[in-house]
Amino acid sequence: MATERNEAGRQLGGELVIPVLAIAFTLYFFSTIWNSPWTAQVSAFAVGGILLLVCGIFILRCIFWLRDGKATLGFGNLFSREDITTGRIGLLMATVGYSVFIGRFGFTLTTFLFLALSMIILSRGKRPVFITLISAAMALGGWAIFIWAFDTRFPRGWFEITMKAVLGNG
Amino acid sequence: MGETTTILFEVFIDTIGYWWVIIPTIFLGLIVGGIPGFSAANTIIILMPLTLAMDLQTGLVFMVTLYCAARMGAGIPAILVNIPGTAGAAATPLDGYPMAKAGKGQQALAISFVSSSIGGLLTTLIALATMPLLARVGFYMHSVEMIVVMLFGISLIASIASQDMLKGLIAGFLGLMIGSIGTDVVYATPRGTFGFLELYDGVPLIPALVGLFAVSEAFIIIEKRVIVSHEGDVKTGSWHDTFEGVRIALRHWWHIVWTSVIGLIIGVIPGAGASIASFVAYQQSRSLSKTPELYGTGHPQGLIAPESANNGVTSGTLVPLLVLGIPGGATAAIMLVVMQYHGVSFGPSLFETQPEIGYGMFMAMAVAYLLMFLTILPLSRYMSHVTTIPTIYLAPMIISFTLVGGFVPREYMFDMYLALGFGLLGYIARRTGYHVAAILIGVILGPLLERYFLLALKKSDGDIMTLFSSKLGNVLWVALFFSLVLPAVFDWRRKRRELMGQQRKLVG
Repeated sequence: MATERNEAGRQLGGELVIPVLAIAFTLYFFSTIWNSPWTAQVSAFAVGGILLLVCGIFILRCIFWLRDGKATLGFGNLFSREDITTGRIGLLMATVGYSVFIGRFGFTLTTFLFLALSMIILSRGKRPVFITLISAAMALGGWAIFIWAFDTRFPRGWFEITMKAVLGNG
Repeated sequence: MGETTTILFEVFIDTIGYWWVIIPTIFLGLIVGGIPGFSAANTIIILMPLTLAMDLQTGLVFMVTLYCAARMGAGIPAILVNIPGTAGAAATPLDGYPMAKAGKGQQALAISFVSSSIGGLLTTLIALATMPLLARVGFYMHSVEMIVVMLFGISLIASIASQDMLKGLIAGFLGLMIGSIGTDVVYATPRGTFGFLELYDGVPLIPALVGLFAVSEAFIIIEKRVIVSHEGDVKTGSWHDTFEGVRIALRHWWHIVWTSVIGLIIGVIPGAGASIASFVAYQQSRSLSKTPELYGTGHPQGLIAPESANNGVTSGTLVPLLVLGIPGGATAAIMLVVMQYHGVSFGPSLFETQPEIGYGMFMAMAVAYLLMFLTILPLSRYMSHVTTIPTIYLAPMIISFTLVGGFVPREYMFDMYLALGFGLLGYIARRTGYHVAAILIGVILGPLLERYFLLALKKSDGDIMTLFSSKLGNVLWVALFFSLVLPAVFDWRRKRRELMGQQRKLVG
């Protein structure tokens, strides 16, 4: 009985996303090697063929479950109201912004802004002063260890260039 | 024999003299190993100008120590926040993280450190003693055998995700397909690159690792205010918990021994690194256990196996590097570059002409593990506090510091976008029950599998039956078959017994 209840609650829509992506990617991959020499094809066709087969079996199993009423095509396990209430969507947008702007503004400044913004989103605006301080400390600590001390190849911007000039002259 | 012993003793005394390099490097290695995507290989690359400026022996002691310490450090975030520091620690969270969630983070760290230190020390001593014999393993591993070993890895992935083997296979083979992206090795035909020039060299592993593990995990953990579950007890570190962890690890000394030897043997095989070793050790440990159902729930043996194995790999990796000049992994490849810069010629003669280099690297490893065992345990008291950091602070920190780690190896902004893309893929996989480690292992193995597959076919003029032409290969095929079928049969039998038990209860 317990098993039946679990099966009935199974949301297959979300579970099918990866196999559907896998099939789409494999077919696209095949299209890029269709007219290529055999050396470019053989391994991909072997691996891709097995992947298509396994995905096919999985989809077939899902069809049987749907037919027997053991599952639905819902996406509840992938998207939910929690994504908004926990600030996950906001964090995702901040992360995209971080990736886009770090090349222009450099590691330290972008990291500070990203940390401050995403922490404020996740804490729903609570303790802004503490968050600002901790974000500044983390960003400056990262700059000191990775860029100043170890000269790691992190993206450089206005802050890093200025600090290099200041320390160089000092 | 007597001469070799004298040489080894002299090299040992010589290496102990480098304590001033080893001890700070242990702490550096633990830190960089603990930052996902910021591996020992990255650190060695970053510090390469410094390493080249040092004399050869100092540079090698530094690199070897960093390699061992980073391997151990990678277990810290794997246990505490479910994010392996490197791919080699991908099997560690399977049981380490449930322990941390249950408030046993400190015990888990102590178990991990003891297993890693003893496993690493033991295999280093074995490697030192059996150097000429171990080197021969590499000679027997031709393309066919390598293909079977790779597929063995994939079958293990499916077994690890044994709650649904189909999902495990889908994740593993999707990873293999992603790993096939890039130009083919013969005619440089671009395949599956979506037109991005940055993918012509294949999918870079660091962005894949950062995205699949770190970014996706950060998006998952924000559901909880702190990482430790409500059922778990967030305890302040105490010596009692540390010693309890040490006691548990020492009680399983035999487990440490044989799983670390698995790591040593797999480490000798070029290309098959710590990620495969840790999963093979985990799976074998589970298969041979009397309580396989406890694996994945915070079982100490499930933590000991991958940690011993991935540290056993460190000494194994050096064997083909020193004897054949073939690096077994990324870090060994960087070591090779540095050694070539200093004019070291590889081969068995290295141990006669420059024993301080040949034996010295193993000795540095042994001394590093010995000092690690003595210095790290007290630290484990404080490391479990990481689990109490509220996720609203931890998640953004993980994202920012690891995402930028994706940029470091090639300095392409594209790699950060790629890490983000892998993060989304990992997030979907985690939410819908697909194993992200399976995808990552696939990505790692994809190019290697293709290379050996092509090599085997080229040698046999395209005859596919060449895959079954070697005796060792056939033995491995049989082992592969059983490793795929037996767990499924055992699971089926266990589920059937449970179902029958439930039915009997209902009837009763």
